[in-house]
Amino acid sequence: MLVFTRKRDQTIMIGDGIEVRVLRVGRDGVRLGVSAPADVAVHRREVYDTIREENRQAAAAARTKVPLLRTLRSPRVGSRPRTA
Amino acid sequence: MGTHVTPMTPPGPIRVDTGFGEFTVNPGDLVSFPSGLPGFERCRSFALLSSEELAPLSYLQAVGGPPASFLVIDPRQVLPDYRCALGQSDLGRLGATESSVLLWLAIVSFTDDDHAWANLRAPVVINPQKMIGYQVLPHNSLYPLRHPLTPA
Repeated sequence: MLVFTRKRDQTIMIGDGIEVRVLRVGRDGVRLGVSAPADVAVHRREVYDTIREENRQAAAAARTKVPLLRTLRSPRVGSRPRTA
Repeated sequence: MGTHVTPMTPPGPIRVDTGFGEFTVNPGDLVSFPSGLPGFERCRSFALLSSEELAPLSYLQAVGGPPASFLVIDPRQVLPDYRCALGQSDLGRLGATESSVLLWLAIVSFTDDDHAWANLRAPVVINPQKMIGYQVLPHNSLYPLRHPLTPA
């Protein structure tokens, strides 16, 4: 991990399109502003971790539970996703 | 000296083995997931598979990379008024605008005693025009991470 000490209004650049700026340093935390290209997702880490764990459980459930469903004998066809 | 160009044969249908049977998918029906899904970041291509037995659930199956599959359901089947606003960043990643019609899927999970729930807080969103999908994590979602599903 790269470690920086930044004062308010100072910025870190990541790659050539991402910037993290310290907006405010206070007793209840540090307020950060993030600029990133539209195709880059920015998340609170704990939110991402929560969704990751939910997905892992869901994938494990699909792997173990779905084979118990009754199967058809003939192959089925997937289709291009369409909206209702 | 002339050169001989061998025409590339277009890729044929793909056979996908799922937990409940075999499906045939055309490469053009695969959805690109540039970020994969949280926890499955290297799964970059998915097929959305449906069958009458599974309905209203569908099967989102990773193709061509690490194996992963998910049962999914339209969140409006769970909550008819379900509505999730996408920010500019998510719209941009999907190649969509606010007026684009998008496909929404909630990932379904089970416990061992067959309680099932849908993740309405972080839906999978697919732009059918671009065949691109992401799981979006809205900042201020009021929807539950685990909305119970009652058996049909």
